[in-house]
Amino acid sequence: MLQSKEEKCMKRKFNRIFLVLSGIFIMILAVSSLVMVLFFPELLSFGTSDNGEATKELFAMDTYITMTAHGWDAETAVAEAADKLTELEQLWSVTEPESEIYAVNQSNGQAVSVSSETEDLLSFALQMAEKTKGALEPTIYPVLKAWGFTTEENRVPSDFEITELLKNVGYERVHMEDGSVWLENGIMLDLGAVGKGYAGDLAAQILRDNGITSALLDLGGNIQTIGTKPDGSFWKLGLQAPFSEGTLGILEISNKAVVTSGAYERYFIGEDGKRYGHIIDPVTGYPAENGLASVTVIADEGRLCDALSTSLFVMGADRAMEYWQLHQNFDMILITEDGEIYLTDGIADMFTLDSYHSNMKVNVIEDE
Amino acid sequence: MSKQKILMIICVVVFLLGIAGSILVLLTPHGTQVNIVQDGIVLYTIDLTTAQDQTLEIEYKGRTNIVQIENGRIRMLEAECPDQTCVHMGWLDSGAMPIVCLPNHLSIEYAGSGDNIDAVIR
Repeated sequence: MLQSKEEKCMKRKFNRIFLVLSGIFIMILAVSSLVMVLFFPELLSFGTSDNGEATKELFAMDTYITMTAHGWDAETAVAEAADKLTELEQLWSVTEPESEIYAVNQSNGQAVSVSSETEDLLSFALQMAEKTKGALEPTIYPVLKAWGFTTEENRVPSDFEITELLKNVGYERVHMEDGSVWLENGIMLDLGAVGKGYAGDLAAQILRDNGITSALLDLGGNIQTIGTKPDGSFWKLGLQAPFSEGTLGILEISNKAVVTSGAYERYFIGEDGKRYGHIIDPVTGYPAENGLASVTVIADEGRLCDALSTSLFVMGADRAMEYWQLHQNFDMILITEDGEIYLTDGIADMFTLDSYHSNMKVNVIEDE
Repeated sequence: MSKQKILMIICVVVFLLGIAGSILVLLTPHGTQVNIVQDGIVLYTIDLTTAQDQTLEIEYKGRTNIVQIENGRIRMLEAECPDQTCVHMGWLDSGAMPIVCLPNHLSIEYAGSGDNIDAVIR
């Protein structure tokens, strides 16, 4: 009996020690989980995140595309959008023998009937060519090819060659009627300058039709957004610095498209040591060189961004600002070669320079 | 006895939760945005998935650090400092452990989720 009493006593002691130890243990765990919740709240929203997120990456339209969508059945939505992008690539490629553009280019002046997408894209491109007085030129392809920007075998063509090639450049010589397209002799069509933007619009439309209210499409640096981020905040986009690696600043937007054009994207150094950018001025046939390093256009539609970023780059800062004063259906950020920034007042508050670039001079363009 | 059992169960549950939590924290996905910071100022923000292979030279009071980006990785290639700790750290691989060169006030770190950008306009 006595022994068992002692035993009981021992047992009780053990129990107490056990209790204290487990108490300490629980407290440590409680504190650490509290820390976790406080510092890593995003971990908790793991399984219970919003009503679904889907991401799709693909290679189409000569570029790497990433789409991230939030909403019911986002999975189906992005899959459908991806199919559309692949389909459009097959319609608009200049080099694919199966594409509609290829068929138009090889038809020797015969009318070729095209899909409604191609018809819409082409009529938009022609309309923009007219509005920009030819700064956007959907028939510049032969000149671009002579410079080697379509094959990456770059060279500087002779003045004579360029003059000859420019004789076959002119959007007025592209004709459209009832879903058919025909080109005058020697003209070649390339919708590369607007195709990606238009494709982005159509992909975004498919997402919207599938009930997506929040999405980000990145078509090789052309950005298209639907709504805001799922938490209601604006999308934060870094703007590529034209002179160095990394970003120049942050642009915050919602429900808009953004496209940048700049010679820094693709260029080559000629045997003469000069730098030649890939954006050709359709008037001279030479790479546009007017003091601009990059042009970023922000608008409701990707097609407008795409068309304007290229053509405003060709125009140069002064004419670009005149164009904006006249139309004002978009916002823009111009960065000059000498490191100044011009932005329209509609986005002045939405753009923040990175601190490292805060010495750059920022000029706000206002409505006159 | 039953009290003890309940306590035991609670302990086990909390313990397992703790382990799960630690694994989650350790595996916290870091993005691909890397900041190169000097004296609290972000000199460069680089997306490792798109950045080209290159070296960056960063100066601090006449001393130079060379940062290397290669195959989507980043490291301190050379540092003009006495301890060379940053060089020995090798490639940046943890969201929780930046590469720091204390003598030259320079660090390479994954951009925090707070100011992470969603995409880069190019």
